[in-house]
Amino acid sequence: MQPGSSASPLLLPPSTAFSPLHSPLRSRSHCNCSSPRLRRSIAKHRREVARAVTVAFAWPQMSEHFYTVASDSETTGEDKPQQSFPDVAIGIDIGTSKCSVAVWNGNQVELLKNTRNQKGMRSYVMFKDDTLSAGVTGAAARENGHEERDILSGSAIFNMKRLIGRMDTDEVVQASKSLPFLVQTLGIGVRPFIAALVNNMWRSTTPEEVLAIFLLELKALVEMHLKHPVRNAVLTIPVSFSRFQQTRIERACAMAGLHVLRLMPEPTAVALLYAQQQQQFMHDNMGSGIEKIALIFNMGAGYCDAAVAATAGGVSQIRALSGCTVGGEDILQNIMRHALPSFDSLYAGQTMDRIKSIGLLRIATQDAIHKLANQDTVEINVDLGNGHKVSKILDHSEFEQVNQAIFEKCENIINQCLIDAKLVPEDINDVILVGGCSKIPRIRSLVLGLCKKEISYKNIDALEAAVSGAALEGAIASGVTDSSGSLDLLTIQATPMNLGIRAGGDSFAAIIPRNTTVPARRDMLFTTTHDNQSEALIAVYEGEGERAEDNHLLGYFKITGIPAAPKETVEISVCMDIDASNVLRVFAGVVKPQGPAVPPFIEVRMPTLDDGHGWCGQALAKMYGKTLDLAVLPKKLQP
Amino acid sequence: MMIGFVGIPAASDHCHMRLRNGLIHQGSTRPNHCRPRTVIRCCSTTRGRSRDYYQVLGVTVHSTPQEIKEAYRKLQKQHHPDIAGYKGHDYTLLLNEAYKVLMRNLSSRRADGKSRGRSFGIGYTGDGYSSWNGPVRGQALFVDENKCIGCRECVHHAARTFAMDDVLGSAHVEIQFGDLEEQVQLAVESCPMDCIHWVESQELPVLEFLSRPQPKEGHGIFGGGWERPRNVFAAAKNFARRLQREEEEMEREQSSRSHGGAEGEAETEAQAEARRRAGEELRWKPLLDVWNGLRGQKKGGTDP
Repeated sequence: MQPGSSASPLLLPPSTAFSPLHSPLRSRSHCNCSSPRLRRSIAKHRREVARAVTVAFAWPQMSEHFYTVASDSETTGEDKPQQSFPDVAIGIDIGTSKCSVAVWNGNQVELLKNTRNQKGMRSYVMFKDDTLSAGVTGAAARENGHEERDILSGSAIFNMKRLIGRMDTDEVVQASKSLPFLVQTLGIGVRPFIAALVNNMWRSTTPEEVLAIFLLELKALVEMHLKHPVRNAVLTIPVSFSRFQQTRIERACAMAGLHVLRLMPEPTAVALLYAQQQQQFMHDNMGSGIEKIALIFNMGAGYCDAAVAATAGGVSQIRALSGCTVGGEDILQNIMRHALPSFDSLYAGQTMDRIKSIGLLRIATQDAIHKLANQDTVEINVDLGNGHKVSKILDHSEFEQVNQAIFEKCENIINQCLIDAKLVPEDINDVILVGGCSKIPRIRSLVLGLCKKEISYKNIDALEAAVSGAALEGAIASGVTDSSGSLDLLTIQATPMNLGIRAGGDSFAAIIPRNTTVPARRDMLFTTTHDNQSEALIAVYEGEGERAEDNHLLGYFKITGIPAAPKETVEISVCMDIDASNVLRVFAGVVKPQGPAVPPFIEVRMPTLDDGHGWCGQALAKMYGKTLDLAVLPKKLQP
Repeated sequence: MMIGFVGIPAASDHCHMRLRNGLIHQGSTRPNHCRPRTVIRCCSTTRGRSRDYYQVLGVTVHSTPQEIKEAYRKLQKQHHPDIAGYKGHDYTLLLNEAYKVLMRNLSSRRADGKSRGRSFGIGYTGDGYSSWNGPVRGQALFVDENKCIGCRECVHHAARTFAMDDVLGSAHVEIQFGDLEEQVQLAVESCPMDCIHWVESQELPVLEFLSRPQPKEGHGIFGGGWERPRNVFAAAKNFARRLQREEEEMEREQSSRSHGGAEGEAETEAQAEARRRAGEELRWKPLLDVWNGLRGQKKGGTDP
């Protein structure tokens, strides 16, 4: 259905619901909109989408609270508005390449289809002269056959999931420079500059903005289907997403008028679906809650994750999580470079020639990789123009050799996961393979080989599992209960990365180690490093590195007014608390000596950083590293 | 019982009272983070608390991992914030902590406890339940809870040192030397039953362990329930002796096991082959010697 093309009468003027005045885009003072022009076009797009939606029904209750997400704190916590319609959170899987959306319809999870009858919608936003259109409706590319070519013309931004919340020093951003749209980097740890080609001009945008536009269309699709507005959503994210990246996703959702109820790592969403299936199976067999252990391996276009979950009685307990930033996109780029060794030197600079040639090569290579899943050899044969031609026959061994490094990384994360869960391959009952790349024969054999299994778990659709799990979690966390017991489920999450602070120079003191069950709360004692030190800097980091610098900086604050005392006598407690919706709070303060002279504790919600932070950690270390340092207090012997 | 930090008896007192009550009302007593200080102090992990973790999960010290897991899952399904909302946060934290500690205890118990089949003193950690204010001293206070009539005299005189257990109807020492020396002495003298004793500090953990009611083994509907020894001091002597004996035994066993284990592990197939050959050689050597000797004799006999 095209916007406005419905035969139903317009029941409500769009201005009441989607007026730009009420829109978060307008009321946010720093909403990352790069230009007023683009802001206008988003607002216009919003109106168009609104028209498409409002034709279908009258809003039952449309008051201001619908867009209260516009406030600065992106997740407003538990302030659920009073609603007259059943407010079940929808499940969204934003993939690097394809997105899907699902909802609990009262009996089961239902995947929604767009007007072109697709469940998996290509993730991109097309920038045209004065309009924007996302891949949900695919309005920009009417004919199916040419969609991919249009996307690669430079006017569309895609792969936003790989770019969002990343600094320009990040290797994933560097690898994205060979995409048809403009990715400009300065290499100093600030956000990259990205732009789409509109009328032979680069027009700047941000990954958050692109994602927001996409989510807006997705939301409209759901509302059209459900015939009532939706507000809450559960989104799946890769395991390796940092907390900073998670805030970017939340911001994009807020811009689209969605409140993020939960962000769940993709394999844990699959684990929840598995738990439901197991429980159903147990009910049928009148069995008791036997514990089953599943290894879930998820590899999509942008990311690769693994998880080990123990499941019994509808409770899925995440034992270990690991993930990395390799995916189908890397495989694709490797093969492109392999097919055309002069790839980088041949097309320096973002010229029109280059965009066109790379687009052609990309389509041909992608086709070849897809075909290679089912046949022994494949031929890449493409004329790139300007006398360049690629003609290559690719077989499995060559394919595997070229992507050796990627397969090794996959192997590492699976091994890591098994070690962290303290399990051996024999303990695994089921191996679940999901994601687009799980169709690659080498990936299948690799994962099954590591887990010493012959076959993978069958009852799960590789492309729909994550979004179905997210929709289940959405229903559970929204408080929906089901009489048949098919929602009598729970997922017990674990932290994917170490959380801690900088202490003793540049070392990293982990306070909450990775794979700690959530909700989690841990504390640790620190002490001063100088006599009469009156202030201390608490710099909170997240990651796997031994040194603080190797990890992601989440935020920082100072403890002031420490009573004068010789060094190593003051005790400072730093406590970290993660609640079920994965919000991290840090409490810190002096616990010894006690008395009225001691300042009150400080509670800080993390991450506090709002923008690029490549330089921030270094600057902090340089300015305050010595003077405001802390040292870990060795655990005291118990009296 | 050691929670939080030394020198802040008020805070640990607070925690302890709540743990005693099974923490059912924790969510409602502390709905949010408006009192971060107590929140923070409550989260130190100490070994002495594991006793209360059994209560949290509603399992006994004899429960199998399977039972603990089931209890954990059942409670999670009621209290996890996904289901119970934000008020379930604190209780779920406690559940997670209890589960982690108990599963860890269990695995270590299985690792070193299975082979020696220790049937008594399960749950004895070697730590006392009372905590210390200041340094550990040679003498410690102990209340014989069998004799205690629950008069609260001691609690009245030294409120930080003694605490009343309303469930058991007796007083116990909460913090050693929690009050000034005179106050403590006054409390000891005030006891109408003379059931507060000065004991050696190293005896304290055993005494305190034994004076806690232990689950009694039940047979069907008969027996079961909880008991504690009539004479704690005699029981403590007995217990200490048995403990020592078991420990010696275990040490012996472990040394022999590690010895044998190392040998067994280190032996490769080639080595095994070599050992077998050596064994054979040893067995056949006398015969071979005789045979060779005979041949030698024969040869010697024929040659000249």
